[in-house]
Amino acid sequence: MLDNPVLQNILSVALYLVRILVPLLSIYVVCRCFLSLKAGRRREEPVVILQDMVTKEIIPVLYWENSLGRSRSCDIVLPDGTASRDHAVLMRRESGWIVVDTESKAGTRVNGKKIDHSAQILPGDVISMGSTSLMLKRTSEVKNLKQPKRRQRHAASPLGLLFTTMIIQTLLCIEVCFTGEAFDYMPLIPLGALVVMEWGLYLYSMKGLNRVSFELETVAFLLSGIGIMLIAGTGVEKTYMQLGAMLLGIVLFCAMIWFLNDLDRVMKCRLAIAILALILFAVNLVLAEVSHGARNWISIGPVSIQPSEFIKIAFVFVGASTLDRLQTARNLGGFILFGGACLGALFLMRDFGTACIFFVTFLIIAFMRSGSVRTIVLICSAAVFGVFLILKFKPYIAQRFAAWRHVWEYANETGFQQTRVLTYTASGGFFGVGLGNGYLKNVFAANSDLVFGMLSEELGLLLALVVVISIALLVFYARSDVTRSRSTFYSISACAAAGMMLFQTCLNVFGATDVLPLTGVTLPFVSLGGSSMMACWGLLAFIKASDERTYAARRQKAAR
Amino acid sequence: MKTTGTRSLILYLLTGGFLAGLVVFLLSFAMEGGNWAFQPYNKHLAGGGQLSYAGMVLDRNNVVLAKSENGERIYNGDETVRRAMLHTVGDTNGYISTGVQYSYRSELAGYNIFTGLATPTGKTTGNDVKLTLDSNLCKIALQQFNGQKGAAVLYNYKTGEVLCMTSSPNFDPGNVPGDLNTDTSGKYDGIYLNRALSASYTPGSIFKIVTSAAAIENIPDLESRTWTCNGSITVNGNQITCLSKHGSIGFKDGLAKSCNIVFAELAMELGEEKMTAAADTMGFNQSFTLDGIPSSKSVYNVKGAEANELGWSGVGQYTDLTNPYHMMLLMGAIANDGTPVKPYMIDNITTHFGLTTKAGHTEKGAQLVKPETAAKLKEAMRYNVTSEYGDNLFPNMAVCAKTGTAEVGGGLKPNAWMVGFSSDEKTPFAFAVVVENGNSGIRAAGGVASAIMAEAVKIK
Repeated sequence: MLDNPVLQNILSVALYLVRILVPLLSIYVVCRCFLSLKAGRRREEPVVILQDMVTKEIIPVLYWENSLGRSRSCDIVLPDGTASRDHAVLMRRESGWIVVDTESKAGTRVNGKKIDHSAQILPGDVISMGSTSLMLKRTSEVKNLKQPKRRQRHAASPLGLLFTTMIIQTLLCIEVCFTGEAFDYMPLIPLGALVVMEWGLYLYSMKGLNRVSFELETVAFLLSGIGIMLIAGTGVEKTYMQLGAMLLGIVLFCAMIWFLNDLDRVMKCRLAIAILALILFAVNLVLAEVSHGARNWISIGPVSIQPSEFIKIAFVFVGASTLDRLQTARNLGGFILFGGACLGALFLMRDFGTACIFFVTFLIIAFMRSGSVRTIVLICSAAVFGVFLILKFKPYIAQRFAAWRHVWEYANETGFQQTRVLTYTASGGFFGVGLGNGYLKNVFAANSDLVFGMLSEELGLLLALVVVISIALLVFYARSDVTRSRSTFYSISACAAAGMMLFQTCLNVFGATDVLPLTGVTLPFVSLGGSSMMACWGLLAFIKASDERTYAARRQKAAR
Repeated sequence: MKTTGTRSLILYLLTGGFLAGLVVFLLSFAMEGGNWAFQPYNKHLAGGGQLSYAGMVLDRNNVVLAKSENGERIYNGDETVRRAMLHTVGDTNGYISTGVQYSYRSELAGYNIFTGLATPTGKTTGNDVKLTLDSNLCKIALQQFNGQKGAAVLYNYKTGEVLCMTSSPNFDPGNVPGDLNTDTSGKYDGIYLNRALSASYTPGSIFKIVTSAAAIENIPDLESRTWTCNGSITVNGNQITCLSKHGSIGFKDGLAKSCNIVFAELAMELGEEKMTAAADTMGFNQSFTLDGIPSSKSVYNVKGAEANELGWSGVGQYTDLTNPYHMMLLMGAIANDGTPVKPYMIDNITTHFGLTTKAGHTEKGAQLVKPETAAKLKEAMRYNVTSEYGDNLFPNMAVCAKTGTAEVGGGLKPNAWMVGFSSDEKTPFAFAVVVENGNSGIRAAGGVASAIMAEAVKIK
């Protein structure tokens, strides 16, 4: 059938139209997902009310965790000279409202009784700090409270968006099927696996757990699907490992969301997680063999894993913290020590790209915890000094980056990969030459470190941009949800995870295109790499957990 | 949580960095994308050669000068046409950087930033480039050179269409000599150079047009003056020589008989400043472009020159340099009251499904000569032809011209020049011809000029 030249032309044009349609549909899905995420958020209105016992002033409580004190940076400012600057924290937990005394001088009293660290409170109870007494009240008890206008916002149907995602994957699959001389049925296997995983998670989370949102998962499925179809273009058998990793990643995603539900449990496990991460690094350093300049792989039987990918998750766990702990344990000592150990291990492995990712994540967490510009400047100058020392004593490391911004002069040496990426990106134009029709796939690490180039060549620059911008949008989403999440633990971890993924995207995309030095890191969700795929789903769990609705739905069900 | 919210703004720093990087990448993609794609290793261009699937190059009569068939680049069937068009069309390997096949390789290969090298039908088919040149005219021009080195250019100074451009020496792009890049004897030296655009020649007597312009503008009694030529004068103990003894001679005859003494004295009288000003206005010390392809820079530099050197500079010797393209443009300017029409050679670029992406058009360039000066120069140059060169060289055209015999030193015969234009509205052509070591301007270059003007008249 494909021998007929007329039919072949018609087919080529049809496949080209498919390549125009795919980025347009993807733009639709990504836009609707993020708009719907924004629209579906809780409105910034009081959760509960505090009333001053003396002045009868009504103080709305806006967040799940609120700091109380004399300092102007507190969520509820007490104009009271006898209260400490950061006196106490009022927190909402599954069990109800809790007040935690954050090492105040005068102590905190509930109904006149001095509390020992923390106490549960009910509506009607009076909290006394210094000479101020506040009574907890339900919002319904106060009549003339200003109610913000409720606008009916139209959120996109999660079902429809997932369905569109499935159509995009089907279109990509058709492209792969027509790559060879004859129609190939093999690419239907990864498509089938993707569809089963998508709808499996959808049913489990929407019907099984009664959650209301599925946007983050949809975006992740869109990106993973594009990556898997790109790999299928180079050989269907190569997708099996990636699909397996994706399944494990989804399991990890669900498990982490369950684990993150109970913050007391999380805070108790943090030390164990930190120790486990360091042990994993130690094991890595002992067992790993050098491959392509870095010692970041360990082989267990037939599978090889990259421990540093999983340590990324641990790093976020260890870094984030609840507000009451942020107020009491102000110094970053422990975390700096842990971060330093991680960076040291990565330098020993010569994995500079991952080291940069850890460092940037460290900066994000450190700043969000302390808010101290001075600390950040100190850390940065220490890092610059460290890099200077390394370059002075090990100058060969600098040579690895000598081709940066001069790749055309080293086109057949150290600039080989970058020049190929640029040439084939330009050859692909906006809509690509078609899945499996590219030539970049023959270059080393094309489907991992250089995947942006491969994506641009085969599916076009437009889709490649949609992919990286949707990762950037995760940052916007995580940031806009900061004050709405159930604890600073969730806000910090979501920002750190999103920032980590965006920075990794920067290193991948700009490294391959010679805007930054090439360091060899993966593009989240898209690159070939089992450990990386799992870690991305794990990091996504932090962002999902910061969305208040993730757990709200479950509570509604329990109440019913 | 309020403070945590404020602190999370740090993420915008990261996002800002991401966007900045993206802008850097996209800008270089938009500007450099064509160069990125045109790499010898790019397998989308197939077969190693970058023109394997490129479009055609056609002349003004749709004669195919170059096309691709089955992954190979094929040139016109006539060897003299192939050679005559070589420097305009370019070679397969892109060594001739001023050739269309190199300068317009993106367009020929069908590259654009939106579709890259991909096409909806899956087959790479490039765009066709149609030139304004007439391949037959170029062939006749090259035949006139008879193996001598040099270049000839001719354009329609009303429309801007370049009709003839040829450069010698050249090689056959359809049958490239095997030792072209390995030869060390020097027989292929400068073979990739388009002498019409990129060479730098001593102008010799044709520079007297510039000196004349400076004199017309600065010396009121120029027409009534006379000079005495005894074959040479001595300035600062150095001789300035003339080719013959003209005796007592006025300005117009001085130009027609090309008396060195008249123009050396004029240059010395005008001085460094006025001479430089006139040369600069007329396009010296700057580069021009032909459809984006730059010409070499003509040079007039008399900074700190001795009086005798200034004298020699006035007759187009000393350090003076120029190229045929610039001289043709200057002729076009004088013909057009001082402001030339910009020459162009790309008539149009058309995609294989018939969409024209670029079309040449008539456009005025910057003024090179004042209108009054242009009129006087035109009159003087017309007198050159009627009194000295003879109208039989250019029948029925009323040509205004100037010849030149530029000493090149080193024991070599001088280079022969002829530049000019037809002042007849029906034959609006301007030309510049240089024959290396041709000895006599009127005999060597005049023959080529006469032949191409006669042929240009026949072009519709």
